[in-house]
Amino acid sequence: MVDFLIKIAVIALYTTIAMLVGILFMGIGRKIVARVHNRVGPPVYQGFIDIAKLLTKKTNISHGWIYDLALLFSLTGIILTILFLPIGGVKLLGTEGDAFLVLYLLAIPALGFALGAGASGNPNAAIGVMRALVMMLSYELPFVITMIALMIYYDTSSIAQIVELQRARWAIMIPPFMLAAAVADMALQGMLMEAPFDIPTAPHEIASGPMAEFGGKHLGSLMLYKAGTIVAYTTLFVDLFLGGGVVMHDGSILSYIVNFAVWFLLILLIFTLSLLINASFPRFRIEQAFKFYWKYEALLAFISLIWVYLMVIS
Amino acid sequence: MLELIFTALLVASFVTLFVKNGRVAAVISLIASLLPVAAIIDWGNEFGLKIFSFGLEKSMDFPIAGITMHFSVTALAWFFGVMIFFLIPPIMLFSYSFFEKNRGFFPFMLFLITAVFGILLASDFLTLFFFWELMAASSFILVYMGRDRKAIISYLSFSVLSAVLILTGIALIYSQNGTLLFSNVAFSADEVTVSAIILMIAGFAVKSALMPLHAWAPFVYSKADEPFVAFLSGGLSKMGYYGMFLMLFALPGAKILQQYFDSTVATYILALIGAISAFIGTLLAFMEDDLRKLLAYSSIAQLGYIAVGFGIGSSLAITGALFQAFNHAFFKSVLFLAAGAVAYRTGKWKISELGGVAYKMPFTFMAALFSIFALAAIPITSGFAAKWLLYEAAVSNKYIFITPIMLIASVGAFLYSFRILYGVFLGENRHDDIKEAPLPMVAGMFLLVMPLIIFLIFPGYMLDMMHSALVNAGIGTVSHTNYVISTGMASYNTIAVVVGMMIAMIPAFLIYVLRKHRNIDFKDNFLAGEPYEIYGHISMHAANNFYKPIEDVLMPYLRRGATSFYMALYNAMGRVSKTVRRIYTGLSQDYAIYVAVFLLIIMGWLIW
Amino acid sequence: MVMHPVLMIAIPLLSAFIMPLIKKAHRYFAFSILLLNTALSILLFAKVYNEGALYETIAGFSPPVGIYLAVDNLSALLAFLINIFATINFLTSRQDFRFSMLYLLGVAGATGIVLTGDIFNMFVFFEITAVASYALVASKKDRKATEGAIKYMILGSVGSVFMLVGIAIIYSQLKSLNLYDIAARISSMDTKMMWLSFSFLLTGIGVEAELFPLNGWVPDAYEGAESNISSFLSFGPSKASIYAIARLLIIFSMSRTYELALYLGIVTLLVGELAAFTQKNTKRMLAYSSIGQMGLILIAFSLMDKTSYAIPAAFFIIVSHASAKSALFLLSDKDGFGDMSSKYAGLAGVLSLIGMPPLAGFWGKWYLLMGVADEKIWAVAAIIIFSAVIEAIYFARYLYKNMEGKESSRNSIPAAVMVSISIVMGILPILYNMAGGVLNA
Repeated sequence: MVDFLIKIAVIALYTTIAMLVGILFMGIGRKIVARVHNRVGPPVYQGFIDIAKLLTKKTNISHGWIYDLALLFSLTGIILTILFLPIGGVKLLGTEGDAFLVLYLLAIPALGFALGAGASGNPNAAIGVMRALVMMLSYELPFVITMIALMIYYDTSSIAQIVELQRARWAIMIPPFMLAAAVADMALQGMLMEAPFDIPTAPHEIASGPMAEFGGKHLGSLMLYKAGTIVAYTTLFVDLFLGGGVVMHDGSILSYIVNFAVWFLLILLIFTLSLLINASFPRFRIEQAFKFYWKYEALLAFISLIWVYLMVIS
Repeated sequence: MLELIFTALLVASFVTLFVKNGRVAAVISLIASLLPVAAIIDWGNEFGLKIFSFGLEKSMDFPIAGITMHFSVTALAWFFGVMIFFLIPPIMLFSYSFFEKNRGFFPFMLFLITAVFGILLASDFLTLFFFWELMAASSFILVYMGRDRKAIISYLSFSVLSAVLILTGIALIYSQNGTLLFSNVAFSADEVTVSAIILMIAGFAVKSALMPLHAWAPFVYSKADEPFVAFLSGGLSKMGYYGMFLMLFALPGAKILQQYFDSTVATYILALIGAISAFIGTLLAFMEDDLRKLLAYSSIAQLGYIAVGFGIGSSLAITGALFQAFNHAFFKSVLFLAAGAVAYRTGKWKISELGGVAYKMPFTFMAALFSIFALAAIPITSGFAAKWLLYEAAVSNKYIFITPIMLIASVGAFLYSFRILYGVFLGENRHDDIKEAPLPMVAGMFLLVMPLIIFLIFPGYMLDMMHSALVNAGIGTVSHTNYVISTGMASYNTIAVVVGMMIAMIPAFLIYVLRKHRNIDFKDNFLAGEPYEIYGHISMHAANNFYKPIEDVLMPYLRRGATSFYMALYNAMGRVSKTVRRIYTGLSQDYAIYVAVFLLIIMGWLIW
Repeated sequence: MVMHPVLMIAIPLLSAFIMPLIKKAHRYFAFSILLLNTALSILLFAKVYNEGALYETIAGFSPPVGIYLAVDNLSALLAFLINIFATINFLTSRQDFRFSMLYLLGVAGATGIVLTGDIFNMFVFFEITAVASYALVASKKDRKATEGAIKYMILGSVGSVFMLVGIAIIYSQLKSLNLYDIAARISSMDTKMMWLSFSFLLTGIGVEAELFPLNGWVPDAYEGAESNISSFLSFGPSKASIYAIARLLIIFSMSRTYELALYLGIVTLLVGELAAFTQKNTKRMLAYSSIGQMGLILIAFSLMDKTSYAIPAAFFIIVSHASAKSALFLLSDKDGFGDMSSKYAGLAGVLSLIGMPPLAGFWGKWYLLMGVADEKIWAVAAIIIFSAVIEAIYFARYLYKNMEGKESSRNSIPAAVMVSISIVMGILPILYNMAGGVLNA
């Protein structure tokens, strides 16, 4: 019983820390982009300020219960996803569900947005969600191909297991996975909705897309969601290709701290990479994004898959 | 007592032929349709679902017209029976309100139920075929009542194709074995048996709308009465898979194919076809504006998954396939019934003409929403467990081409799910004057949603039900407890997901509750400052041509598909036919010359 | 009770000639004669079923000199079919006494063809049937009917001549007209003469049996004739003729002739079905479809030497086609299925032709496929599959076109009865124990 409670406490702790890291990253992100643009930019703790402001607003507008579902689904979905991802080697609930589960859990927020945008009545929101879904279809193809490559190589579909098996050598060190990692990184760019793939929330085009009608606490929870996605996606990438940031394996308190630090640095690295791309590129159109992912990315991903397959069966 | 059930069903169908009032006919049909359900529950004692028993016998021999029909219940038949017969009472309940006058729906549905009962119980090929044709005939008449030319022609021709393929297969098996009883047929890996197996699988695949034999489905699903289409898509398509399971696993067809071709290429092709059906079906689905055609393509796609499972052939795969079949039966029926309810109230089919229905028909919306969750395999529904098993199977057998296609098809399902949700139910409310669907309709839909809920938390129960069927077929079972499924590669714990969800909901819930919000009117929107009233009625429903960008990219590739192939074939036959008709010139001197020439030719042929 | 098969021929024949004397009550008279004949055919069948094949000599002259009737299961059943359908068909035809006379003649002739055991006798009955048919086709008295009748007559006459030549050749060689006798001694004929006579006979009977390419008259005759007559042609002369062809095949009983019959059947089937595919006019479409079915029956008969399934197959296809196609022809005088019984007849008819159990058409296709599977003739199986799908398409179109019926055909009830016979015959146990049996020498 005590073990169980400790487990719950650890899970809650790590989840909260992950969300806080996410909010921090939002601020860091704005700072970096600003520096690239030769601006000063807001302080790194800006994310906290924004969310606090939004959550404490007095007037909050809602379009009905279906609209509120967006709030519910998105936040629930992303936290649920984080629960199943190994963070810094700590498995949380990772043994009870595998990569496929995570993949589908990532879709719950999209569904929530779909409902919320639909209920909001703003056609821009609907268009935004349409583009978000099309983008999801686009980047999923190369991404799942690389995931399958990993699964075949490590003969497991559990992310926790994949992290374990990268003890000796990170996946990215293996030649076919270098290619796969590059592909997955581009997919990550789409997942994070950073330029050139910030199509669904294009501020200038469709009035922020799904978020057009969100304000007050709804917008606050949405920003929390965004924070969560940053952490979740980059952690997924790090877990799959960079060993999850696990460098010490002896199970001591020190190892937890060290693993956490390495994990933090790695996701910061990945996030910075995506930000740099964000700062330098304009936006794609949705059909360009689709073609990009399905033609070039998918082809490269497929090459890496075949490569891995040949490696495995020989 | 078994023959009583058959007789009762037949009597009921004859009676309803002459009943004009739709309500009375519905009640009669509802009562009649409970009989197979009772039988299933009774047999459940044997096969894993102990509720109660009244001692119904499990086999019967029925001599008629010089031949004997053999019936017996197998675990497999029982499982499919659970899938299919529990669909019917809710559908009948729904039809109570849907049909005011009995236009012929009820008698032929009852024939159909009798036919399905017969197919599942058949234990020899002739009986199987007999009832298969009865099913085809009754469903054809139901399609005929839909009064659409393309639907009628395509359905009859594909049904006949299916029938002839199966019949030829049966004839071949008979010539090899001299018997038609399932228990006595012995397969050996020779040319005749293999051709028979392939022919029969192809014949069954027509019914299950597997590409490329699917061309009839979009036409038929969109032009027949919804309750019938719900059963057609939810129930009858599974019969094709029942036949395939019989041929491949209950009788050792899969092993024979592997032996004969010395590799797994034949079953791999089946899996590939299933994956392609799933993929292309999904792509075609989200481009459709007609709600029923969208659901038709979606059916083709979801049914493709079952073929993938059968093609892969491992215990994981088949378990997943059967689970998917079960889920599909229920969620697809609900979706078609919901479409029917919406049409009943609004009279519209096209998504671009609907919108905002959820505000007036909340219960229909909820039922449809839950079914869409199951369709999209959201992890809190049972739909996920099925797909998960299939993915696990595909990856552990290292099918590198099929797995990504399956996954993408599932992602694509989100696209058309959203189109349905937004285009029909959400968005701007264009139909202010409609009311919620009548109570029987709503009750029917909710009854159908229930199994999806039950199995979401306890997938283990589903696997228990399949247990006997799989064991009898010599396939292993997947290790599971009530709520955890484990495979060689990973495990899936539903309780963990549910508990996790509870935990994850806390922050969101807190935010929702701790700060008050006020509801405002739907039309009060951020339109970049432009007041709504000045421009009169601007449509705020962005549902027309919803996926145009991606449609533009994909259409050139999808233009030339199976349907256009069939049209081309049809036109080619037309040209051949016209040429042949020119032989009949209408001039008797020509005909006389033909006679003379014929005489000379055969004389010459015979003498030399 | 003493049952003479000859009664079944003699009674209608004589009644036909009495007809001019009974001008006023001709309809009732003719109908009661037909009814009587049908009853006789049932008795005949019962007798043959219980006692085996029945041979009867006429006027006491024994073969090879005398005229001779030979009846077995198959011929008795066919005689029954012809008569009962003729009775039902007659109910709704409204014409004058000449029509009734010709009708009875036609029935007598067709019955005679299936019951006879003498080749010249067969020729005589062919002539009677043919002449009656020409006139019946023309009885509608409009341009199309006359045109059809003339084409039928021209080709039919050519056919008759050829048949006579064939018979003459046989007689000159074997000096016998008795079918048994001929069959027994056929091999003693000079080979060339044998082939020659076979060719002439095949061509001659083939015209009536609607085989390709001798069936040029079929579309026009069926289209022009009144629907009751098209129906009559469909179950009467054509079925009797195809039975005669079967007898011909048995007499000659050589693998080459069977092979020829198979090819001929295949070509006829394909031409018929394909031509029906794009035919918009209902009657012509049904006529082409009939040609196709004749081809199918011939295919079944051509497998007689190889498999025992051939004869049951042929029989069931004959039953199914005779009942269903005739019913559909009966319905073709009005566009659309007006009332319940037309809908029932139309749907059940189409389903029987396509091969839906438990209707008779299914058993036909079933036995045929069993035979083909046994002999492993894959090409034929493929052709059957192909033609079945083509049939389904044009019949589906037909059903669709006729869905909305304003007026109901006056023939709807007879059509329904005919189709029901098809259903009943699909279920009766007796037919499964049918030993089959075109006469063996």
